[in-house]
Amino acid sequence: MELIEIQNLSVAYGKPSRPILTNIDLTIREGEFVCVLGQTGCGKSTLLKMILGAEMPAHGRILIDGVQHNQPDRTRGYVPQKYSLFPDKTVLDNIAFGPEVSEFNMFTRMSPRYFRRRRDIRDEAMRYISRIGLHPRDAKKYPHQLSGGMQQRVAIAQALMTCPRILLLDEAFSALDPGTRKDMQRLIRQLWRDTGVTVLFVTHNTQEALHLGSRVIVLARESDEAGAQVAMDMSVPEPCHEQQIPVLVHHLEHASGSARAPEPVFATA
Amino acid sequence: MSVSFQLVHAKPNRITTIALSWMLFAVGVGLYFYAAQKRHQENPEDRIMPTVSQMFHGMTNATTNPAEDDEALPENASLRQRFFASMLWKDTVATSRRFIYSILLLIPAVLLGLHMGLFPYVGVFFLRFILFCDKIVALSLLPILFIVFGIDELSKIMLIVIGVTPTIILDTFNLTKGVPNEQIVKAFTLGASDFDVAYRVVMRQIMPRVLDSIRLNLKAVMLFLFAGEMIASTDGLAYRIALLRRHMGMDVIIPYVLWVALLLFLVDFAMRVANRKLHPWFQEA
Repeated sequence: MELIEIQNLSVAYGKPSRPILTNIDLTIREGEFVCVLGQTGCGKSTLLKMILGAEMPAHGRILIDGVQHNQPDRTRGYVPQKYSLFPDKTVLDNIAFGPEVSEFNMFTRMSPRYFRRRRDIRDEAMRYISRIGLHPRDAKKYPHQLSGGMQQRVAIAQALMTCPRILLLDEAFSALDPGTRKDMQRLIRQLWRDTGVTVLFVTHNTQEALHLGSRVIVLARESDEAGAQVAMDMSVPEPCHEQQIPVLVHHLEHASGSARAPEPVFATA
Repeated sequence: MSVSFQLVHAKPNRITTIALSWMLFAVGVGLYFYAAQKRHQENPEDRIMPTVSQMFHGMTNATTNPAEDDEALPENASLRQRFFASMLWKDTVATSRRFIYSILLLIPAVLLGLHMGLFPYVGVFFLRFILFCDKIVALSLLPILFIVFGIDELSKIMLIVIGVTPTIILDTFNLTKGVPNEQIVKAFTLGASDFDVAYRVVMRQIMPRVLDSIRLNLKAVMLFLFAGEMIASTDGLAYRIALLRRHMGMDVIIPYVLWVALLLFLVDFAMRVANRKLHPWFQEA
């Protein structure tokens, strides 16, 4: 079933306007794990922000389940590369924030139902803490007391607590060391399998895209003046054999116009 | 390791830290009493630099006797009754009352700054005007305030409001703008409303810095308050200092100045402790 439909999407920024994305047409089905790949500055994050509803396209439209959304909402969870957690809240408060903020306002917080439901939400948040590999005592820690990898685990749990239909990750593992990154890749694959959520993962790392995605979309621009277009749209064979990877990496990097050597980060799915 | 590197990375021990940090106080007090002693040797009637005993006598009067314009207490009044009817207590209460009103009036300023930073239409509506107001020298408005609001409390409080609120509004505006957009977008994806984003996400994050900003502006608040009290008032610490100046009452003026500094220090200390207790995440981060 088609979940995201991107129709003739074009985006331009600045004065004089500089095209970022040009005539993007894409369809993403429910339950897919789509990795959006491309060189730095090719408009990957812009595409993600358009799907998120944080920015509006100059031309074209984006339909989520057949409906055009003009602002971010609970249907789409979001994990950015930085600033993914609220620094003034503990891990538990961060994870429980979504259900609590959407179910209770200033007035309903006084009702007896609030306390019962709040306890349920907190129990669910604690289950998520265990599920993402954190110790229950970490629940009371603030984000600055966690490592980068732990922060991103919490950010993913926070996004999944509201049961979004789509999970959007914007270079979410880029700032992590290779070992932690490998763990995070395993975690996100596992959560994707368990929850069935549709994942859109933006990365500039070709091997990461191949190991994670069930489908890889490459964005590339023909010239510096042109906006990025879909240069390649490929389903990743499941399972993806080790021997196939160098060939696929070569194809994808050729499509994205990347001349650089493959990055060393390598995780087997 | 070079000498300059050692100087930059020096770690004074506890005793050295205490000794160094109090040294200037000790030198200041020592110099004052040396100069006062010299002046009193030349002129025993000198009133410009009172001695310790003169200041103690002056302050004893200020803390146990009512002001001259108030009714005298009965002879058998207790020390407690005497203190709460004293000139110092009456002046402190009057100044504190105005100070608290002024601080409370900063709350709407913080809320305005928050909304200006978060909602672009509110921002563009107010920003230019507030920037202009911030450049107005508040004391130059004093005559206008006295004409418009009279010489009662309102004009003095308005002086503080006009003098300090634009700075607080602009500080809060900048702090709000500094909250990463990712967090605001994330809050919306978690189901937050505009109200939730403003008060449960942004406000909570900027609050420690807003309190710091208010702390740094405490002296400005007192400055405007003192200006108002000195020019048109019938009570208050600054009024008393201005009044005693006419009688060369340095034996009370100097302890009053130190009392004001102590009060301000205590308010600042209380706000720092409150900030640390209310926002543990901020102090550690």
